[in-house]
Amino acid sequence: MTHQRTLSFTLNGRPVTATARTHETILEVLQRDFGLFGARESCGQGLCGCCTLLVNGTAVSGCLYLAAFADGAELVTVEGLARGGTQHPIQCAFVEKSGFQCGFCTPGMILMTKELLGRHPRPTDEQIRHYLSGNLCRCATYPDIIESVRRAAELV
Amino acid sequence: MKAFELVEPATIDDAIALLDAGDPGVRAVAGGSALVPMMKARLFQPTRLVSLRRIGGALRGIHAGDGGLRIGALATLTELEHSTRVRDAAPVMSRALRTLSNVRIRNVATLGGHLAHGDPHMDLPPILLTLGARVRVAGRGGERWIDINDLFLGYYQTAVAAGELITEVHVSAQPHDARTWYEKFTALSADDWPTVGAAVWYRTAGDRIGEARVAVSAATERPVRIAAAEQILTGAAPSAETFGAAADAAAAAVDPLADIRGSAAYKREMVRVHVRRALEKAR
Ligand SMILES: Cc1cc2nc3c(=O)[nH]c(=O)nc-3n(C[C@H](O)[C@H](O)[C@H](O)COP(=O)(O)OP(=O)(O)OC[C@H]3O[C@@H](n4cnc5c(N)ncnc54)[C@H](O)[C@@H]3O)c2cc1C
Ligand code: FES
Ligand code: FES
Repeated sequence: MTHQRTLSFTLNGRPVTATARTHETILEVLQRDFGLFGARESCGQGLCGCCTLLVNGTAVSGCLYLAAFADGAELVTVEGLARGGTQHPIQCAFVEKSGFQCGFCTPGMILMTKELLGRHPRPTDEQIRHYLSGNLCRCATYPDIIESVRRAAELV
Repeated sequence: MKAFELVEPATIDDAIALLDAGDPGVRAVAGGSALVPMMKARLFQPTRLVSLRRIGGALRGIHAGDGGLRIGALATLTELEHSTRVRDAAPVMSRALRTLSNVRIRNVATLGGHLAHGDPHMDLPPILLTLGARVRVAGRGGERWIDINDLFLGYYQTAVAAGELITEVHVSAQPHDARTWYEKFTALSADDWPTVGAAVWYRTAGDRIGEARVAVSAATERPVRIAAAEQILTGAAPSAETFGAAADAAAAAVDPLADIRGSAAYKREMVRVHVRRALEKAR
């Protein structure tokens, strides 16, 4: 059936399969089939970054990403960053600098930071703002987030 | 969203055969960043989407040559943003890409989708109107080139027919003395869609402007060249008076659409301001 797909992809380092209908986004599949809620829908329009995940190493908005496009890809969500109970240095930096209040935007901020540091290991403040300008924080912890990203660049 | 048929052909020919179904519910999908929001809002309910993502080769890559830039339709906006070829040949594009949406959208959005969508708020169309460009289109009857000046027909309407695919975009080589600028004015958040996009291009001959191009988008129902402004610039000295007169001509020529970003009268004034600024900043 072309309206439904069996998808094979790598999720946080593990090969997995899932069945998705063509109109479902990857976010729906991650939440329903894998119980992963780190990427969460907020605006649903590509604007806020709460739904950020990495597909083949680049950040995308999961709310606009058709699940079928994940077939054959490598997916990383915030849940896949820690290693054996040890948090990823970017996570440590956000904790150390309190780069959050409610935490709703934090998975997206952390994954965008990962993409930023991949391209610019020693980012300027301008580069930090450029990469994070599409991630919104309703608690407005922006100064602490930028501080966290600076710290993350030291730790990574 | 409602269920639909999703097909992922491996060649351009197969894609065209699948697109050419005489059904308005059949469309191509590249990055999906324009289409999926429309589907979520139920403005578009496809019966079949033809994904281009498994087509390689001809639809990818950014090449520079004597004739200018050749960009595959599936090149992402992120690839264009970071391309040194684009930066060398058309720095005005590289600059605009930095404020075009956000990193996540640019990571998936393609140049082909950007142009085929026909949304007047897109940032690159007015720039391409001033740089000069051609779009290569493939359909059941073969291939044809569409000049960028003939591509945008109206609100979400382009000259790309149902059943046709954009395969490549060719940006003209720029004379070394061409001055360019794109002024993006956002009325809501800083990196919102443009309320007005103003692109300019001119060359001087001696102390006069030899040739000039001015394009306006976002405020209008499609990106448009402004002949009245170009006429004022051509042959005149590149002075504050000339730029002001050209900006006045642009404001008089446009037919702005009112929306959440402003009334028609407001946008007309913003066209005046931002065409003038673009001319002053062109380098
Ligand atoms: C949150 C958000 C903010 C944005 N802000 C901006 C902004 O500030 N400035 C701006 O310019 N743009 C902005 N955009 C729009 C963005 O540039 C477009 O969504 C993107 O360029 C479309 O490319 P795509 O590959 O995702 O297209 P798709 O969504 O895949 O397709 C769009 C249309 O083009 C057709 N199509 C796709 N590829 C081809 C092809 N090769 N041949 C023929 N038809 C084709 C599809 O059938 C569809 O009709 C924004 C988008 C989002 C979601
Ligand atoms: S929920 Fe996807 S960007 Fe806001
Ligand atoms: S910490 Fe609450 S939204 Fe950012």
